[in-house]
Amino acid sequence: MVKKDELLRIFAGSVRELLREAAPDWEKVQEIRLRVGRPVFVVSGGKEYVLTKEGLRRMDAARPSAEAPGRPRADSVLPPSGNTGAAKHFPPQTYMATQQDLRETLEYVGSHSLYAFEDEIRQGFITIQGGHRIGLAGKTVMDARGIRTIKYISFLNVRLAHQVRGCADKILPYLFENGQALHALFVSPPRCGKTTLLRDVIRQLSDGLTVGVVDERSELAACWQGIPQNDLGDRTDVLDCCPKASGMMMLVRSMSPDVIAVDEIGSREDIDAMRYVMNCGCRVLATVHGDSAEAVAKKPVLGEMVSEGMFDRYILLSSRRGVGTVEEIRDRTGRRLYPEKGDCL
Amino acid sequence: MIWLRIAGCVLVTASCGALGILKARQWRSHRQMLERLRRMVYLLRGEILYAMSPLQEALERVGGKSDGPAAVWFCRVAERLKRQEGETFSRIWREELDRQAKAMLLSPGEAAELAEFGEHLGYLDVGMQERTIALYLEQLDLSIGFLREHEQERTRMCACLGIMGGLFLSVLLC
Repeated sequence: MVKKDELLRIFAGSVRELLREAAPDWEKVQEIRLRVGRPVFVVSGGKEYVLTKEGLRRMDAARPSAEAPGRPRADSVLPPSGNTGAAKHFPPQTYMATQQDLRETLEYVGSHSLYAFEDEIRQGFITIQGGHRIGLAGKTVMDARGIRTIKYISFLNVRLAHQVRGCADKILPYLFENGQALHALFVSPPRCGKTTLLRDVIRQLSDGLTVGVVDERSELAACWQGIPQNDLGDRTDVLDCCPKASGMMMLVRSMSPDVIAVDEIGSREDIDAMRYVMNCGCRVLATVHGDSAEAVAKKPVLGEMVSEGMFDRYILLSSRRGVGTVEEIRDRTGRRLYPEKGDCL
Repeated sequence: MIWLRIAGCVLVTASCGALGILKARQWRSHRQMLERLRRMVYLLRGEILYAMSPLQEALERVGGKSDGPAAVWFCRVAERLKRQEGETFSRIWREELDRQAKAMLLSPGEAAELAEFGEHLGYLDVGMQERTIALYLEQLDLSIGFLREHEQERTRMCACLGIMGGLFLSVLLC
């Protein structure tokens, strides 16, 4: 459940008040986007709204009518750049975020201590209490080692955490064979729910198994001050913000897990660490970007593991029938286990 | 009658002497308070540089580990930061400092230095925090050095002035 007050506290005073008055359904809100000199967008239930001084307004309502396409409404608001495109006209009283709003919001997001979030800023996001993630964009400052920091942060995306309990219920039987957990790889394009699914698998597996999670991007557990904000079960240990390869080694050596879960694998180091973990007798659950098993098999490093048959199950997801649609489940040989005729997950 | 006068003189001299000694003790308490504050700033530096803790967490922990008015002040700042009511860090720091400065026995100059320290805390990266803390510790060292250097003479002077003042008053009253 989203704690409204906890979340509202991260916004600058003016935005906070407007959001409080607008009173959106916080259980449905997915994103709140702030951009300097642009309206504040709220994505709720898959629809986009703009924040106005009179509450939230659907974007469609502000568009010019069909009779006069391209002509802005007399009372619509233009962004400062003055683009006259029809879609750029916003409802009257639309609130435009200011630089001060973003600066203030960033101060609250970082608890007045942005130095403590240097690594997160380098990665482009900060996780706050409740597991919500604040995406950042602005001007990157580079040094010899890569991105040093982001300055002039002018774009913020507040992504609200919504854990979907039970979303893995139906795929769980496929992750066991003779009572033993199997190595599994979750494959999907971005925003198709593989992390959410993996999170629920971890939660359910930890009912009986010890699970170690290497949460490099704080997406699975969404730890805040070391405490998982998402429920990952009673027997789950989390290594937060730790590089996957070294994290997997550390967990095997120190926490003796039955299962290790990692999100978004891909580098040579990750694959080598997974091999090590598998050879230690631990089961591995991992996710990877891709739109098919074939695409994963063609990936330069991961393809080796696929061809060696190191994963017992491949779970392919899409958003064809909504986020988290399970398209296929295959075994290590590529044989399709799901869907069989008439199956529907 | 003469015994009453003698008793009065003794009481006046003794109370003035006690006042002098009290004043001398204040000097020492002031120095001890600054030394305690310095210890707390060292702990704060550890929290920030080693554990990379945000200010709220760092102040709460250091305040919890220490005692005295400075610890109360740290905890109050942490508490207000936790509430996140739309105030800037420097404002919270300054307001709580104003409430606690008297109990902390800070001189106006020291309070101003401490307030300025808060203005720059949390700004930019860890390196900046390190430099800000180092600068304040330097100022604190100077203050403590001054108090320590003059502690003996001040203690003696205050005690002497108290007793001498008492004697002088006694002479005047007699």
